[in-house]
Amino acid sequence: MDKVLLKIENLHAGIAGKEILKGIDLTINEGEVHALMGPNGAGKSTLSAVLTGRPDFVVTEGSVTFRGKDLLAMSPEERAWEGLFLSFQYPIEIPGVSISNFMKSAINAKRKAAGLKDIAPGDYLRLLKEKMAMVKMKGEFAKRDVNVGFSGGEKKRNEIFQMAMLEPVLSILDETDSGLDVDALKIVSDGVEALRSPQTGFIVITHYPSLLESMKPDVVHVLKGGRIVCNGGMEVAEKVQSSGFESF
Amino acid sequence: MALKIYIVGKDTIPSKVSLGAGEEMDIVFVALPGEDRSVAMDVELDAPGASAQIRGLYIATGSQKVDLTFNVRHNSGGCHSRQLVKGIASGSARASFYGKIYVAQDAQKTKAYQENHNILASEKARIDTKPQLEIYADDVECSHGATIGRLNQDEQFYMRSRGIPEAEARRLQMISFLAPVAGLLPQDLAEKVYESLSQCED
Ligand SMILES: Nc1ncnc2c1ncn2[C@@H]1O[C@H](COP(=O)(O)OP(=O)(O)OP(=O)(O)O)[C@@H](O)[C@H]1O
Ligand SMILES: [Mg+2]
Repeated sequence: MDKVLLKIENLHAGIAGKEILKGIDLTINEGEVHALMGPNGAGKSTLSAVLTGRPDFVVTEGSVTFRGKDLLAMSPEERAWEGLFLSFQYPIEIPGVSISNFMKSAINAKRKAAGLKDIAPGDYLRLLKEKMAMVKMKGEFAKRDVNVGFSGGEKKRNEIFQMAMLEPVLSILDETDSGLDVDALKIVSDGVEALRSPQTGFIVITHYPSLLESMKPDVVHVLKGGRIVCNGGMEVAEKVQSSGFESF
Repeated sequence: MALKIYIVGKDTIPSKVSLGAGEEMDIVFVALPGEDRSVAMDVELDAPGASAQIRGLYIATGSQKVDLTFNVRHNSGGCHSRQLVKGIASGSARASFYGKIYVAQDAQKTKAYQENHNILASEKARIDTKPQLEIYADDVECSHGATIGRLNQDEQFYMRSRGIPEAEARRLQMISFLAPVAGLLPQDLAEKVYESLSQCED
């Protein structure tokens, strides 16, 4: 039987007293890629925020199990240690914190939680270089403050770089493909491909079928008005492309 | 002139300084957690070419009080002053900054800058900032900026989503905030500053 990675049951959540997710059910097994489509404002990013534990979102009903554990009981950092990763739709700028220090803190925090010592400086540098090369980021970016002054595409590339560094078990890509040129798009799909294994899973949120064509999702879901209104294969993405969300 | 570093409560900061032609003062003060701290300085720029640079940082924790008062007087033209003070108040600490720049009527070609930036790291901390400009000359270049902010929640969540614990995320934010001043200090003192951030309670 397939091993369940993430199981969302009847999830209701909102912000500032307003319900946005109105009963989501979704199961992701190890090795699967799920695409999540849906009109603007449907609640796709809200679902990402709730799964990663953004403090201002409130879950009012339902449950989420990740690798057999109660995800909703964990802090955002604990979720990351457990292997959850979100590529932000709008990556955050952190003035004064370099990419290199940022990732080193993240990696060492995870190692500490697992009872390991800090990564050796030499090993860290090698890892940093290897992953930057993989996403074709110039070496000088390591010293730059996280996302400060980055172009839209560079920010997205930085998200994929972080994903590659942290090697998550379940990655949520929230419109990582939006605003990317063809070459950058290829970097995203290569980044996903490199992490893809029988043990990992992906939720790919997108408005475009092109990323999906290269990633070949196992399931395509349509989220509308805070509910999943359709589950299917690539034909669902094609239907979205040809006739929009009206008919769902 | 060499940078002079003062640890508030340990070193004695001159309370009154008069600078003559071409004389320069360049100081950095550090107010660390512990006892109440206060700094009060009157700086007189009395002849052309005098210049004063005052930079400093404070970290106030627990029920500590930090009071900073700077009175910079441009009595003569052609002088230069610059102030940069950054600080963090946490717990139920109280911090106040009073900074006055006075430019006399015939002190033309004065350059005077003042910046005071503060972070309220807890609900109960209080910060008061009162920048004051009193300018009687017309050919001057003066600016001042004062801010009181909080640690950015979006940054915190972004870091936590990468596995950086909340306390560490806050520490990184505070380090980056203080860096423009802490970066001027000898390494051991800068490290002491950064270590003392762990005493900041929200
Ligand atoms: N902080 C907030 N306060 C109030 N409403 C919010 C907040 N954040 C999101 N919402 C609302 O929740 C709804 C869902 O937003 P969400 O960002 O999840 O949509 P989305 O499906 O990701 O859309 P898009 O395709 O445009 O990215 C929208 O109506 C939005 O205005
Ligand atoms: Mg969105």
